[in-house]
Amino acid sequence: MEGFLPLQWALLWWLVALPCLAAGVYQLNRVLSADRDALPLLGVTGGFIFILSSLKLPSVTGSCSHPTGTGLSAICFGPWITSVIAAIVLLFQALFLAHGGLSVLGANLVSMGIAGPLAGWGVYRLLRDTPVGVYLTVFLACALADLFTYVVTSLELALAYPAEVGGVGSSLVVFLAVFAITQVPLAIVEGVVLVLVFRYIIQLRPGILIRLKIFPEEKIMAARSDA
Amino acid sequence: MMLQKYRFEILAVIAVLAFCALFLWTSSAMGGAEFAGSDTVGSSKVAEISGIPEEHFSSLIPQWVPPGGEVESALFALQAAVGGILVGWFFGYWKGLKEKG
Repeated sequence: MEGFLPLQWALLWWLVALPCLAAGVYQLNRVLSADRDALPLLGVTGGFIFILSSLKLPSVTGSCSHPTGTGLSAICFGPWITSVIAAIVLLFQALFLAHGGLSVLGANLVSMGIAGPLAGWGVYRLLRDTPVGVYLTVFLACALADLFTYVVTSLELALAYPAEVGGVGSSLVVFLAVFAITQVPLAIVEGVVLVLVFRYIIQLRPGILIRLKIFPEEKIMAARSDA
Repeated sequence: MMLQKYRFEILAVIAVLAFCALFLWTSSAMGGAEFAGSDTVGSSKVAEISGIPEEHFSSLIPQWVPPGGEVESALFALQAAVGGILVGWFFGYWKGLKEKG
């Protein structure tokens, strides 16, 4: 939506996004040099961001939207590294697809690359050391990362365009109806699909999940044997 | 036993089928639905709330627009293909390592 955010808001979101990206690049270097198996894991989780965010799917509101795919990467690498991968995808879409845009890239990064992954990661951190199973945790984190992305998109637009009557609150309701409601079924399907992907990772390469301390070893082993 | 073993695959298939059924239901219930991008719908809401006609919004930074839907869909497919290659490459690498022991 290039041009649909006023300059001062576009700049503000860029300012929020840049330090997160910088933290992501720094962490990425550290993680990749610490463990050889981190690169394949990054490839798989990042690959799903590429795939899922290219799929524009029809939804209940009669309009289309796309999933984000950021949840798995947020679980495995945290929100900052995820924001770096999201930045690559968003830059490609802004430059070649007229989808998003360079001035709104900061705002899109904050919603898809930072806020969504942060929400998903938050849910995962809350549930990681509880008896809640690995697969349910992954489902909830991925679905929420997707949904929350669009809640924040709505908020960004509502802040820039408060309604004459009712201000930010009532335009937030309008934008949530467009973005967030459309997203609910997509978020659920995304959660289910990414659980399946996580299961394949657990079957093929449980070691990396344990070494990166993504889940406690007992939980990974329990999820592995229960198949 | 099979059901238990493949329960996540089955769940995923059910979720995708339910999503398709939901689409068929909405597209028949909402005759006029265009299934435009939610960005397009969002843009018109911005115009509505701000009272500025949609044509008056112009790019802050000049933007290349793909010439036509065909080119656009090709570029989207390219993005998905890159993701697919990454996923397939590394899953294959892991599978090879596992089989070698």
